[in-house]
Amino acid sequence: MSATSRSLKHRWLRRDRRAGWTFREFLIFLFPLLVCVVLLYYMLIRTFWVSFSNWEGVEPNYTLIGFKWYKMMFDLARFQADVSNNLKWLILGVLPTVIVALFIAYLLEIRSIRGTENYTRTLILYPVAMSFIVTGTIWSWMYQPDKGVFNTLLRGLGLGFLEGRYVTDPATATYWLIVIFVWQYLGFSVIILQSAFRTTELQEMIESALLDGASRFRILLQVIVPNIRGGILVLVSLLLISSLKVFDIVYVVTFGGPGFATDVLAFYMLVATFQQHLVSLGAGIGVIIFLLACIIVVPYTIYAFRKWFE
Amino acid sequence: MKIKNPGLTILVLITLLILTIAYVLPMYVAVVTSLKSIAEITQRRYLIPSLSLQFENYTQAFRLIFPAMKNSTIISFSVTFLSLLFGGLGGYYLSRARTPFAKVLFVLVGISIYLPYQVILIPLTQIMASIKIPPVTIGTWSFGGVPLTRTLWGLIASYLILNVPLASLLMGTFFTAIPRELEEAAEVDGASRLQNFFRVITPVALPAYASTAIIIFTQVWNEFLLALTFATPKTQTIQMKLVEIKGSFVANYHLQMAAAVITLLVPLLFFLVLGRYFIRGILAGALKG
Repeated sequence: MSATSRSLKHRWLRRDRRAGWTFREFLIFLFPLLVCVVLLYYMLIRTFWVSFSNWEGVEPNYTLIGFKWYKMMFDLARFQADVSNNLKWLILGVLPTVIVALFIAYLLEIRSIRGTENYTRTLILYPVAMSFIVTGTIWSWMYQPDKGVFNTLLRGLGLGFLEGRYVTDPATATYWLIVIFVWQYLGFSVIILQSAFRTTELQEMIESALLDGASRFRILLQVIVPNIRGGILVLVSLLLISSLKVFDIVYVVTFGGPGFATDVLAFYMLVATFQQHLVSLGAGIGVIIFLLACIIVVPYTIYAFRKWFE
Repeated sequence: MKIKNPGLTILVLITLLILTIAYVLPMYVAVVTSLKSIAEITQRRYLIPSLSLQFENYTQAFRLIFPAMKNSTIISFSVTFLSLLFGGLGGYYLSRARTPFAKVLFVLVGISIYLPYQVILIPLTQIMASIKIPPVTIGTWSFGGVPLTRTLWGLIASYLILNVPLASLLMGTFFTAIPRELEEAAEVDGASRLQNFFRVITPVALPAYASTAIIIFTQVWNEFLLALTFATPKTQTIQMKLVEIKGSFVANYHLQMAAAVITLLVPLLFFLVLGRYFIRGILAGALKG
């Protein structure tokens, strides 16, 4: 009797100790991650510091000088053009992608033809394995105005009047770059929305709405969309961040040109830092990109935090 | 949900047709063109495959790209392996600990995985350029004494710093789904936390490791900003080489397309063979927590 109670007590104590982590365990499990996180935030702070200092040229200069480079940045015509281009990316890179993805995910859900789902998934999802550099290389050639694939095909179909100058026309070049982004992220978006559809409650709601004789379009707008708010919000956040960070497409297809018609902040940051050697200006642009990203990332992380520790 | 309706079927078919054209055309034209000679390309019949397939294009492109491909392979595999190891450990902590420290850490990690690389680029290049590999001489053969930026270690270390937090969160998400009873049974038998992790959790979580591995590998293989900043002739990655080929063989579309196809091949292969894990990884990353 006493032996049993002692072992029970012993076991209970051991459990309790296990709820915490010994210092050794803590180190083994966490040391590499902690090093990475500390380094990342250290570098983040350094970039903030550099952006407030006066580093111009090759030699580092960490003397704090205040908002000098920020003031200069906001007056630069190129910076203003970048901000307006970034806005185009944020709106046109995200909104059409979400709407088209919602439409496709819904059609797949209806499953009126057998076998369409796997086919469509593979068809539109393979670009997630591609880099923007590969996509950009291929699309550069599609867009090429003279010998390019699109214009040649249009001429061949007798639709020569539809020929475009695509990325060589300063007025529309950014839009054609955004098309590449949407093309690349569509499959990704469909996957995320589809997983949001797959809850039993939602499936039951759709069934009963169908029995009530609601039209399929109304079901989409009034039953599905409100019930997958969470999934849509996640998708919008991810797409916003990705479109904010895009610079590879710009680099490989237009290199910011013609002029700086397709320039974006993420690209100008590189040019300012490594070509113009205005390192403090480059750091400042980096900070602006970071702050813009925070508007999306912070609420998203709070949302994830609540789910994680609920 | 299954609906029979002829109008709807037509709508589905039209959508499928448009999607098929939009997604097959670029790849189809790229592959067809990569197998043509320049003379054939100037005929501008882009949709019609060549009658005499020019496999030499691939030999030539591959010869150009091979050194860079080797670099990318070394970098991607080592970063993936180490991220899985460190991320698995860290992710396990994040999924099990419920202390205030763990909560703060979660927020810091959560924000850090979405840091735009631009905001750490300047200090990162400085740090990597300031760390020197100690010189080593073995007989007549010596190496070291150069900054990390001039070796592959610069890129490996940088990618590692950026990908360990991501791997931790992905693995943490998967670990959260593993029932605690499994560990508790082992604990009663006297297993330490470390034994528990390696003997009980890791085997169960192998599919999760596969998903995380594919996500990290693809991301590192396809990364361009750091690859561009750290590029030296010896440490060029495959993406960097592709850009260079595109720039120096301006009118040689057959070469450009062959190089693009080669660059795409490895991640695409992973996607086609392990697509299920790929999708799971994407979902874990998207709906993290």
